Amino acid sequence: MNEETKKTISEKYERELQKGERFWPDSIFKDVVVSLGLFVLLLLLATFVGVHTPPKADPSDTSYIPRPEWYFLFLFKFLALYGQIPVLGKIEFIATVIIPGAAILVLTLLPFIEKSPYRHYGKRVLPISVMALFIVSMVTLTMIADIPTTSGTDGVYVAGIAQTIGGLVVPGLAFLGLFIMAFTLKQKAKKGMIWTTVIASVLMVVFTGLTLVYAPTVEAEAAEVPVTLPDQITAGQDLYSVHCVECHGDDGSVSVIEGVEGLEGEELTPINSRDVLYTITDSAMQEVIAYGRPTAGMNPFGKAYGGELTRSEIDYIVTFMRYAWDDRFEMPPVKPLYPALAEGEVPSYDVHIAPIVKRYCISCHRAGKENNNYLMGTYDEILHSGDNGPNVAAGDPESILLLTIQGTPILDDNGDELIGTMPPNKQLKADIIDVFLRWVMAGMPQTAEEAAALSTAPLPTPTP
Amino acid sequence: MWQKLYTWLDERLGLGDMYANLLDRPEPKGNWWNTLGSASLFLFILQGATGIFLTVYYTPSPDHAYDSITYIMNDVAFGWLIRGIHHWGASLMVLVVFIHMVRVFVTASYKYPRELTWLIGVGLLLLTLGMGFTGYLLPWHQMAYWATTVGTQIAGSVPFLGEFILKALRGGPDLSALTLQRFFSAHIWMLPALLAGLIGVHLYLIIRHGESHFPDEED
Repeated sequence: MNEETKKTISEKYERELQKGERFWPDSIFKDVVVSLGLFVLLLLLATFVGVHTPPKADPSDTSYIPRPEWYFLFLFKFLALYGQIPVLGKIEFIATVIIPGAAILVLTLLPFIEKSPYRHYGKRVLPISVMALFIVSMVTLTMIADIPTTSGTDGVYVAGIAQTIGGLVVPGLAFLGLFIMAFTLKQKAKKGMIWTTVIASVLMVVFTGLTLVYAPTVEAEAAEVPVTLPDQITAGQDLYSVHCVECHGDDGSVSVIEGVEGLEGEELTPINSRDVLYTITDSAMQEVIAYGRPTAGMNPFGKAYGGELTRSEIDYIVTFMRYAWDDRFEMPPVKPLYPALAEGEVPSYDVHIAPIVKRYCISCHRAGKENNNYLMGTYDEILHSGDNGPNVAAGDPESILLLTIQGTPILDDNGDELIGTMPPNKQLKADIIDVFLRWVMAGMPQTAEEAAALSTAPLPTPTP
Repeated sequence: MWQKLYTWLDERLGLGDMYANLLDRPEPKGNWWNTLGSASLFLFILQGATGIFLTVYYTPSPDHAYDSITYIMNDVAFGWLIRGIHHWGASLMVLVVFIHMVRVFVTASYKYPRELTWLIGVGLLLLTLGMGFTGYLLPWHQMAYWATTVGTQIAGSVPFLGEFILKALRGGPDLSALTLQRFFSAHIWMLPALLAGLIGVHLYLIIRHGESHFPDEED
């Protein structure tokens, strides 16, 4: 840039200053308005939207799908799409290093690359077109970031094709076209470049729309993480009921294991005793649950060691044990397992039966346990599964489930016990048996609405 | 009394000169898009202030990071507000800094005599992204852990230097307590120090050359 141009620029700036404003108070006023507006926006976001909390980090849970902060999503998606390109896509560092690196280098050195002294947008069609295309790609890639790049099955996967075209082919060709035009046609290329940018942008938006329309529906995210102490204790108790009750009993007091194949008669220290609770720290307890105690017959439960529990889940179990049994801890008020029933009210599967089953039955009545194939994980399983099934029938007080939880074993033709009383070691409390009775007698409604519809007529009081 | 105090301070600090040189300056006719730079500065200060409060309770260790944040959110008075502002402020800052960059690009404000201001501005944009990347790991939740695993893996794909970069970022072959400590250190000391220094130079250059005017057909 020669001295003359510099002088012209300086003079022009002086003239602009003449008809301009004062930094204080004119410019500062606008700055303050915008900053204050952003501050209010943040207050509103923090108050009414809050911060979503995923579960605690668990290095053993490799099935977790990583998702970066939203402003890196476009890069993430770009990498995924780039990986689809045959041959070139296998050279990972082109997409991870060379392309982003080149983009950053161009951005940094921009003042030295675009050396013309012109500032008006009409004289800068190429740079503005490139930037516009870049921003449209960023936005569209961000929008389709959560849609799988491949379907994993054979056949035409429309969302995959559409996103490859909209996210990679169109912008790639458009960038190429812009540069070819800029360097071959020089000044005459203006119109062509503008049209290329507009058409490419519209195409990208259209293909993004197609991708979103044809995207496979993704399952809803897992349930909310328990954050408050009572919620964590409840979560811990549910997990304890599933994984630990068989050997340790529902109050942790078992000292000789009964009725567990392979561990029959095994002696253990009651885990609700002071001997255990006072001498073992939280982290040691977590490790025992995670590693198990192979010498004493306890399986590892941590995911890292072949079990089923994540770190967070083990944490909840330990929290539950502390607050439930350790006399140095005071149990906070915890929500009841199910809402109490009024006279004549009919319980539903969703609200009442599911949490009860989860706490008292699932421990054995799930796949891989000895249970005559009677699984109780879902509404349908409770109604229909089992070798002796159906184990419950609407309105039948002689249903196997009702008899066994009321202390009546089922006998076969020879008078031998076919199904013992349930749960095997300890009878359910009367009010829980009452819930089951009311539910079966009223016709086993699944949802709360169905139950409410049945509740209008008061039922005869069941005999426990 | 106030007059006397002002005179005393002015003699020593040069308040009058400061007013004349920093505040009472002519500017070209302003545009609302020009407020984004100062908005970025405001967000930086806000992130600094809320971040400092968060370090009072936050513990950068895999055993306690998650629980300390749960504690901040549930038990510390107004902890949820400070964390909420810091969390959303991070996203907003990336957005505002980026739009600021686009504005400067569209008005070509990076041309003579403001090339250096742009150069430093790109540095500030990258550092802001770095702050976002390092800060994301600190809550030590599943999403953060796995996103950082993948993020550092990507950094590790650089030819020849990849292995070294990966180990330098993670403090070992895998994400561990060292990684968290490192990211924490970068997030609260190294990157903010660099940011603050570069912001100082950026501001000096803006005051020296003045805000650029909105280009018309002459430019």
